[in-house]
Amino acid sequence: MSILELKNITKTFDGLKAVDSLFVGFEKEKITALIGPNGAGKTTVFNLINGFILPDSGEIYYKNQNIVGLKPWEIANLGIGRLFQDVRVFGKMSVIDNVLCAFKNQKGEIFYYPIFQTWKVKREEKIYKEKALELLDFVGLIDKKDDLAENLSYGQQKLLAIARLLANDSDLLLLDEPTAGVNPKMIDKLLELIQKLPTQGKTIIIIEHNMNVVIDIADWVYFMNNGQITSFGLPQDVLGDPEVKKTYIGI
Amino acid sequence: MNYFFHILIMINIYMILALSLNIPVGYTGLLSLSHASFYGVGAYISTLLMMKLGIGFIPSLLFSIFGSVLLGLVISIPSLRLKGDYFMLSTLAFQIVTFTILYNWVSLTRGPYGIPGIPAPQFFGIIIDTIPSFLIFSSAVASICLYLLYILGKSPFGRLLKAIREDELSAMSLGKNTVKFKITSFAISAGFAAIPGVLFAGYMTYIDPTSFTLEESIFILSIIIIGGSGNFLGPVLGTIFMILLPEILRFLALPDSIIANMRQIIYGFLIILLLRFRPQGIKGEYKFQ
Repeated sequence: MSILELKNITKTFDGLKAVDSLFVGFEKEKITALIGPNGAGKTTVFNLINGFILPDSGEIYYKNQNIVGLKPWEIANLGIGRLFQDVRVFGKMSVIDNVLCAFKNQKGEIFYYPIFQTWKVKREEKIYKEKALELLDFVGLIDKKDDLAENLSYGQQKLLAIARLLANDSDLLLLDEPTAGVNPKMIDKLLELIQKLPTQGKTIIIIEHNMNVVIDIADWVYFMNNGQITSFGLPQDVLGDPEVKKTYIGI
Repeated sequence: MNYFFHILIMINIYMILALSLNIPVGYTGLLSLSHASFYGVGAYISTLLMMKLGIGFIPSLLFSIFGSVLLGLVISIPSLRLKGDYFMLSTLAFQIVTFTILYNWVSLTRGPYGIPGIPAPQFFGIIIDTIPSFLIFSSAVASICLYLLYILGKSPFGRLLKAIREDELSAMSLGKNTVKFKITSFAISAGFAAIPGVLFAGYMTYIDPTSFTLEESIFILSIIIIGGSGNFLGPVLGTIFMILLPEILRFLALPDSIIANMRQIIYGFLIILLLRFRPQGIKGEYKFQ
């Protein structure tokens, strides 16, 4: 069953079709990879799903609800999380605060609760703090919990962004090149983490340039070129497709 | 002794101003140049309510907070459609509009003539009409305000404001209605700024629009820039420093005509030095760029 479906989505930038009448569906609790050359429109697809940009036409159904036109924060609250290509952690905040920010519907974030119901907020914070520490333990950043996020290495910032995403408790995670710029040792750790997620009920869509990663973790692959899906199927089949080999890998 | 008390009272007043401005500027990352307009509107609303309608001190104080919050919403809702420097320009425009209204609506505010004879704060049978009693009163009010602002800053609310400052898109992608939080932080700040306005009016017993000009907004902002923003201690240190500095100049035995200008020169020089060598201020976590 598809958790997310894009129907006839088109997005034009200055006359150039970044996404061209795209029909695509994503299976629940699977890892689907979106691959393709630079400029194929992969990140644009994420921005469209996210609500950061509006499509010129078409519909996006998430759990059978059309989400086109909703604000990015509304879409996030429906359960779509995003890992940015350039991580975007909150640099001048501690690692644990980064994670604590991500929990949804916190009473303490409504300004009158901390003032008039201090004890309630404190109790809630204690629970969130425990959960945040668990997540930091899960991604292996527990020793760094009080460091400023900007002082972490790039790979650690990606792990932190993933912990934040998990705290956010989204069902569908859009991961934009999670392994880019991360050292090989950290990549293994990241992949191990990502592979565990579908067993916890998460659906993953991943943009990835590293073909070994795609073969290792993806259940399904869409190959995108010039704003359209030109090939799809199991990872080995898509990567073995002569058309894909020609336009993408260059053999 | 009264001279010393006077300085402490001014520190109390400016501490509330600086720490309330710290919420949008230091936490949310919205540079605002309209803080003096909330300060002034607070002073005028409570003064007019007390003198024209004979309403008591406490209800007038509450009404002025309410009025200032409303003005904060009026300013921030349209301004927040603009980003960065343009937001600041918009607050600057509102500051000038507010001043112009206070200055020219003579039938209501007496404009440039100002309002003399403002009654001393009076509640539960207590009258605050001496300098020592005003010091105690203003210290009590400032303590309450500082406590509330401290709680807000440390709370998940303050944490989220910081997250918006660090990366709004990221906060949005975590499901936070960032525009709503920006407006809330601005309105809360406006509400708090009304309180020192009421204190100032009651203390001076006279107000006129020239106390609430753009220069005043810039002065309050420079307290934060010099002290450091985004935490609690920075604006506290900044206030003490900025209020004491001109008093120290007083003892240099310079002619009066030079002193006023000297002050401006020193403030300007300090800000330039700080922005060049220590953009986060004396004790701040957030660098102005």
